[in-house]
Amino acid sequence: MRIADKGKLSITGAIIGIAAVVLTVLGNPGNMGFCIACFLRDTAGAMHLHTAPIVEYVRPEIIGIIIGAFAFSLLGGDFRPRGGSSPVLRFIIGFIVMIGALVFLGCPLRMVLRLGGGDLNALVGLLGFIAGIGVGCIFLSNGFTLGKAERQSRLEGVALPASTVLLFILFLAVPSLFLFSESGPGSMHAPVAAALLAGLIVGAAAERTRLCMAGGIRDIFLLRDFTLITGFIAIFALTLIGNIIAGSFNLGFADQPVSHPMHIWNFLGMFAVGLGSVMLGGCPLRQLILAAEGSSDSAAAVGGMIVGAAFAHNFSLASSANVGPGINGKVALIAGIIVLLAIAAIATAKERRNA
Amino acid sequence: MDAEDLKVATFHSHYGAIMFRKRIGDGQLRPVPRSLSSSCGTAVFFSSPFDSSMADENTEAVYVKDGDGWRRIWKA
Repeated sequence: MRIADKGKLSITGAIIGIAAVVLTVLGNPGNMGFCIACFLRDTAGAMHLHTAPIVEYVRPEIIGIIIGAFAFSLLGGDFRPRGGSSPVLRFIIGFIVMIGALVFLGCPLRMVLRLGGGDLNALVGLLGFIAGIGVGCIFLSNGFTLGKAERQSRLEGVALPASTVLLFILFLAVPSLFLFSESGPGSMHAPVAAALLAGLIVGAAAERTRLCMAGGIRDIFLLRDFTLITGFIAIFALTLIGNIIAGSFNLGFADQPVSHPMHIWNFLGMFAVGLGSVMLGGCPLRQLILAAEGSSDSAAAVGGMIVGAAFAHNFSLASSANVGPGINGKVALIAGIIVLLAIAAIATAKERRNA
Repeated sequence: MDAEDLKVATFHSHYGAIMFRKRIGDGQLRPVPRSLSSSCGTAVFFSSPFDSSMADENTEAVYVKDGDGWRRIWKA
């Protein structure tokens, strides 16, 4: 059964890797076939939550991932509405994860896609991500938990997928409601049908296999289990091959698409994402999948990420391509890491007192 | 571990799994089988006889191997 799980994860990773390269060829920004952080940020901009003119677009990939995972969770009997496990803390952690991702310029999934495109800045990010997960695992092993999730109504579970469908209908029927970038990454996108289809397939496959960028590394640290990491490795391998075939492989630190070479901030940005993801129980992609399966806790984390993205651009926290973060971004990221460590330490101490 | 007696316990937290294994003095920490849950938490696989006093507030459910699948024998 374990080999079967690894096989399914390898296939899912391969599908994501191929879909990512195809979406890039069809118009998405470089090494950005998928990026949960960037695409939530673009969608927040399209909805007027921020007004950074170069990152505004309703990304159909996000809508597809949620609907694909929702549909397959219904078919597979995995749709189980539940919640009540510290939703406000999860919102705050999701917010900080987004700040970290936008200082690095990508979620863990885009980090792997960047690695497959030859962007060595993502290797620095990966080291930070592993370090953040390592620290998170120390807290988990010593008692960290955000509390039990309880059963919720089906209405509660359906609310997020239904809102996503409504957003997509409005995007198609009344596009004048939204802001759309005329230049920059937000203006670069694959055709809507291709992006939606890719999202649906990835959402469905990730739901069936529990694919998670953070979970793979966490399971190696905590359980010496290498099942989940196979998805991560397959995405890297297929993206690498795809980029070489497409002629878009470029090894180095300089002049990488939507990237910057400030090593310390790439490391710390992904450190925050790694630590926050372990505290939430999954990376940003996994939060979307869990929210689609009916977790209102993960929906709170996704809400935190959307609001975090809006703050990141309204208060100049996000990095600029080739330049890195400004002083606001550096201060916000350090403060965010301190808040994550404080939440983890307090929750861990409370659980140990109760044990 | 004898396949006939193989059991798996699921938990609300990773720490719950660590403490359960410590209490019963048996078992291995592994990911929750996909067939039991779409969550990606930690489970304890063990073979010693189970009684409900082994569980605590962090224990979610206990299953026993039944053919190719799992049969639930305890739930919080």
